Amino acid sequence: MFFKKYGDILVGIFFMALSAVMMAMAAMLPKSKVMDVGPEFMPMCIGAVTFALAAALLVLSLKNHKLHLAQLAAESIPDCDHKRVLISTILILVYVFVLQPVGFILATLIYLPLQMLVLAPDSERGKKQIVQLLIVDVLFTAAVFFLFRYGFKIILPAGIFTINL
Amino acid sequence: MGAFGLLGNAFVQILTPASLLLMVAGVAVGIVFGSIPGLSASMAVALFLPLTFSMTPSMGMNTLVAVYIGGISGGLISAILLNMPGTASSIATCFDGHPMAKNGEAMKALGLGIVFSALGSIFSFIILTFCAPMLADVALKFTPVENFGICFFALTMVAILSSGNMVRGILAGMLGLIFALVGMAPIDGTPRFTFGTSNLMAGFDTLPTLIGIFAISDILITAESMGSGKVETIQVKKVKGFGFSWQEFLYHLPNFFRSSLIGTGIGILPGIGGSTSGMLAYVTAKNMSKKRDQFGKGCPDGIVATESANNATIGGAMIPLLVLGIPGDGVTAMMLGGFLIHGLSAGPLLFVKNADVV
Repeated sequence: MFFKKYGDILVGIFFMALSAVMMAMAAMLPKSKVMDVGPEFMPMCIGAVTFALAAALLVLSLKNHKLHLAQLAAESIPDCDHKRVLISTILILVYVFVLQPVGFILATLIYLPLQMLVLAPDSERGKKQIVQLLIVDVLFTAAVFFLFRYGFKIILPAGIFTINL
Repeated sequence: MGAFGLLGNAFVQILTPASLLLMVAGVAVGIVFGSIPGLSASMAVALFLPLTFSMTPSMGMNTLVAVYIGGISGGLISAILLNMPGTASSIATCFDGHPMAKNGEAMKALGLGIVFSALGSIFSFIILTFCAPMLADVALKFTPVENFGICFFALTMVAILSSGNMVRGILAGMLGLIFALVGMAPIDGTPRFTFGTSNLMAGFDTLPTLIGIFAISDILITAESMGSGKVETIQVKKVKGFGFSWQEFLYHLPNFFRSSLIGTGIGILPGIGGSTSGMLAYVTAKNMSKKRDQFGKGCPDGIVATESANNATIGGAMIPLLVLGIPGDGVTAMMLGGFLIHGLSAGPLLFVKNADVV
């Protein structure tokens, strides 16, 4: 519920911070020797516009905060599943960074069932479904690997096992 | 007149057996992807993009368009049967399709949806074929000032028509612009925001960014709204053929034309896709029909309106993609990536350099 209540405010603050950092970094860029409009012009423009918009969003959402809370209470939207989103995000990030050192086959074999488990609704986590998940996982990884390696002749990261397939 | 010669040339290229087979396969895969909620048409196109590496540009584009059409059309299957839209374009199909299925008229709903999807696509493609060259002629006269105006127009349309908070829509557009700033400055080559890594010197690669934005956010949105969908067994009424008579077909025609026009028009507007056109067509049909109360309880008009509109959006979305290089919706954004891969620069020059591919 936290994000639904304070979502707009957080977005406003985040964008203000982002554009402030961007403008600061843009100011550090070397000025052009050839003409007045150098590489820092566009970032400054976009940063300024983003900052203004984010400030507007923040001010508007603060003004309407009470109204927004009352509207939320009246509508009773089901809560978004924070745990699932967080775990999914962490899984994706870990997968992306682990892909190169560990290798495609292993990383995908481990990532897929975990992600599918996380996304499955609570009623579908019985033993039969987990076995189905694992079968789909192995088949999919094998299919994708052979498709890329022999179909497209694109090498996937080999990682710790240098299998000469 | 040269345009018609090129059109004939293009048809000859399309109707080779290999190309036809690829198109059938593309549509099949697209329908599968479209009907599974959680897999969308844009994902299907994104996944098929690498497959087209080894094909000639025209075959590649054939396949991608086929996947696109299949993807948008497939959404109606799960919308009608499961009350869950397979793709965002089919959201409004749920409103009338599912009640029809609950009444046992699922076959009729599916038949209506399929036929009018097909007709909607054909309608917008006819407009695309005959009007696009005129639009291209106009576009070729554009100077950089007009180009800037178009980009600005597209971004503001996206912002204004974004549902919910408009400021957030504009902020999202600005975020996109910020990402585009990474890389070498175009005028004098100073590296901007690369944080010292040489990998970012060329900026963010378009394709991974597109896949990341659409696919990964899809995963997270699914994770966020994990509800349970129930499948009920209902007695299905037996039907012959498509499930509806010629009379009903003729009755639906005015609705169809109106919705297809809406769909094509919205497709032409950059940044807006099938979901908006489906909803708009549904609402318009509801407001203009005499059977207003029956909408939402299983009135076939709703399905006709939505499905013709969201398929008409396909042809409409291709117009700005091919003519101006601006993607009409999320899926055409992927296809823009496909063009880049094949070395075709989308935009007005496409008609000059690669007219037969178009």
